[in-house]
Amino acid sequence: MPQIRLDNLVKRYGAVQVLHGIELDMAENEFTVLVGPSGCGKSTTLRMIAGLETVSDGEIYIDGRPVKDLDPKDRGLAMVFQDYALYPHMDVASNISFALRLQKRPRAEIDAKVREVAELVGLSDFLARKPGALSGGQRQRVAMARALAKDSEIFLFDEPLSNLDAKLRGQMRAELAIMRQRVQKNMIYVTHDQIEAMTLADRIVVMNGGYIQQQGTPEELFKRPANKFVAGFLGSPPMNFLGATLVREDDMLMAQGAAFKVAIPADTAARLPTSQTSVILGVRPSDLNYNSEAPDAEAFDLRVKVSEYVGAQSVLLCECGSTDITVELKSETPIALGETLRFALRPEGIHLFDPKTEMAL
Amino acid sequence: MPHDWPGRFRKRAETLSYDRQNPAFYALLVALIFMAVGPIFLMFINSFKLDVDIIGGTTGLLFLPTIQNYETALCDVLWYEPEHLDFCSLKFGGAFINSLIIALISTLLTLVIGCMAAYALVRFRFMGRDTVSLTTLMVRMVPPAVLLVPVFGLWNNEFCLDRDGLIGGAIRDTFGGRGDVCLAGTHSGIILIYVAMNLPFVIWILQSFIVQVPRSLEEAARVDGAGPFQVFFKIVLPLIKPGLAAAAIFTFRIAWNEYLLASALSDRNTKTVPILIVNNMSEFNVEWGVIMATGMLLAIPPIIFTLFASRQIITGMTAGAVKG
Repeated sequence: MPQIRLDNLVKRYGAVQVLHGIELDMAENEFTVLVGPSGCGKSTTLRMIAGLETVSDGEIYIDGRPVKDLDPKDRGLAMVFQDYALYPHMDVASNISFALRLQKRPRAEIDAKVREVAELVGLSDFLARKPGALSGGQRQRVAMARALAKDSEIFLFDEPLSNLDAKLRGQMRAELAIMRQRVQKNMIYVTHDQIEAMTLADRIVVMNGGYIQQQGTPEELFKRPANKFVAGFLGSPPMNFLGATLVREDDMLMAQGAAFKVAIPADTAARLPTSQTSVILGVRPSDLNYNSEAPDAEAFDLRVKVSEYVGAQSVLLCECGSTDITVELKSETPIALGETLRFALRPEGIHLFDPKTEMAL
Repeated sequence: MPHDWPGRFRKRAETLSYDRQNPAFYALLVALIFMAVGPIFLMFINSFKLDVDIIGGTTGLLFLPTIQNYETALCDVLWYEPEHLDFCSLKFGGAFINSLIIALISTLLTLVIGCMAAYALVRFRFMGRDTVSLTTLMVRMVPPAVLLVPVFGLWNNEFCLDRDGLIGGAIRDTFGGRGDVCLAGTHSGIILIYVAMNLPFVIWILQSFIVQVPRSLEEAARVDGAGPFQVFFKIVLPLIKPGLAAAAIFTFRIAWNEYLLASALSDRNTKTVPILIVNNMSEFNVEWGVIMATGMLLAIPPIIFTLFASRQIITGMTAGAVKG
């Protein structure tokens, strides 16, 4: 059973270095999601594992075996591509069985495998069709089936859902999660969509600018982001950031900004270095609750600028001094634009970052 | 709740405007069709006339049709001896087979070399790639007549096997003849120059088809376990079939019709049909009827070949491969 280890992986295109020493350990049967904005090097990392990009420096180990110089076909992995990459001149059955036919497996075995996999992804009725006659979701399933048919120990997914429309993406995401329960294999999944990352991953690796920013379980990353980038990247709507100075009042550490002054919980305050005078205060919209009776030291007074109705919840863009803050509110709450509302801050929802290094404090 | 389908109505409006065309448009169409089909029609009619009738007026439609011209043209393959001929001087059958051998083999070679060269030029990175890609087409700009003299010299004097040598001697012993065994006058000599002549254009056509094959298809095949040759033959080649067909039609047509180079490089036994046709013109007589009949026969194979090859041209071959 394979573990995958990336050892100081470096990728250069000429003088441009796009990956700066990626160190990553993936345990057996782990679902690892590489997530980050466009151009952060996540796809490059995946393609290097697949063997489609050369490794400039460092090594990739699969099961303790260095594979840097092996051809893709000798690495024993299957891959689902962002654009599906179905062979248009072959029907669905031939697409699924392509790898098996290359291995010259017996005819009966191939047929049985194709039927089994088609059943799994719900394509049994479409085996004779060409990819051109399938819808986007069905093509996605064929791509999935083609990877499954190979019996590989490692599955690579390169943004497999990014070409689907929003509704189908949600549906396929759920199907993927179900498939994940049945197929216990190593999976590495690249996406820029943090919702996909959060819902599917055993472990998330957040990347930016060719560096790993943080890795851990979705919960760890969501609750204890290591830096401002990770905090802002995960979660929807994204975290609000406010500049603040630290002031001490009656043994209480307060974060004071242009239009607010909130208390920092004692245990967080204890961790802060005494030399720290200014911080970036990070607050997720979900940690702000509408509460007109909240005490001053645990609340923000926000003036509503825009209200976006999204169903049960409305997303409000509010003004707090000169900065904008996003909050969520139940849609039935009667509010008017321009009104100033008081939102209570959950004490555990306070994240502090160093303004210079942007690291969590 | 009733739905509004503006798209459907627009479509109906388009079909309505279809039959409201300017009459001048049809006049132009008829003129163009006449220009295209007229000469072939004339050739067809005149191939059934005696030379006397042709001299009397090529466009005349009142005459007694005869297959005498075809009998003269095909005298070496007919199972009977035509009454009007004392001696069968035209070797149409032999020339026809020469034409077929030369056109088919040169087409095949051009396609095989062309698709591999085009693939390498598109997909592989190597020094001088852009220069090679550009110069291949520039070679095509050289008129064949410019090639004629140097190639004639080379084929006759340089690319020869010594008649006393091992291979040359063996060839001489088998096929007879005098002098050294040279490329001139052989099928291979003509095939070689046709391949060289057509290759640049074929590479150029196929490049544009290969560029359209999504790179991720090749990557998917590599991950699926295909080696470089399997990727090429199982994935790329089937997808550029329309391009191969277009290139094949182009190459075959040129090789089949080519006159200038063949006239210099062929000998009595390897001459092609176009050369044979011109042999019907002498300083004493131009046998128009036989020329027309041979011309009709010459036109048949390219038509069959094109019909066969064009069936492979299906647009949108890569539809459904990738999205986005």
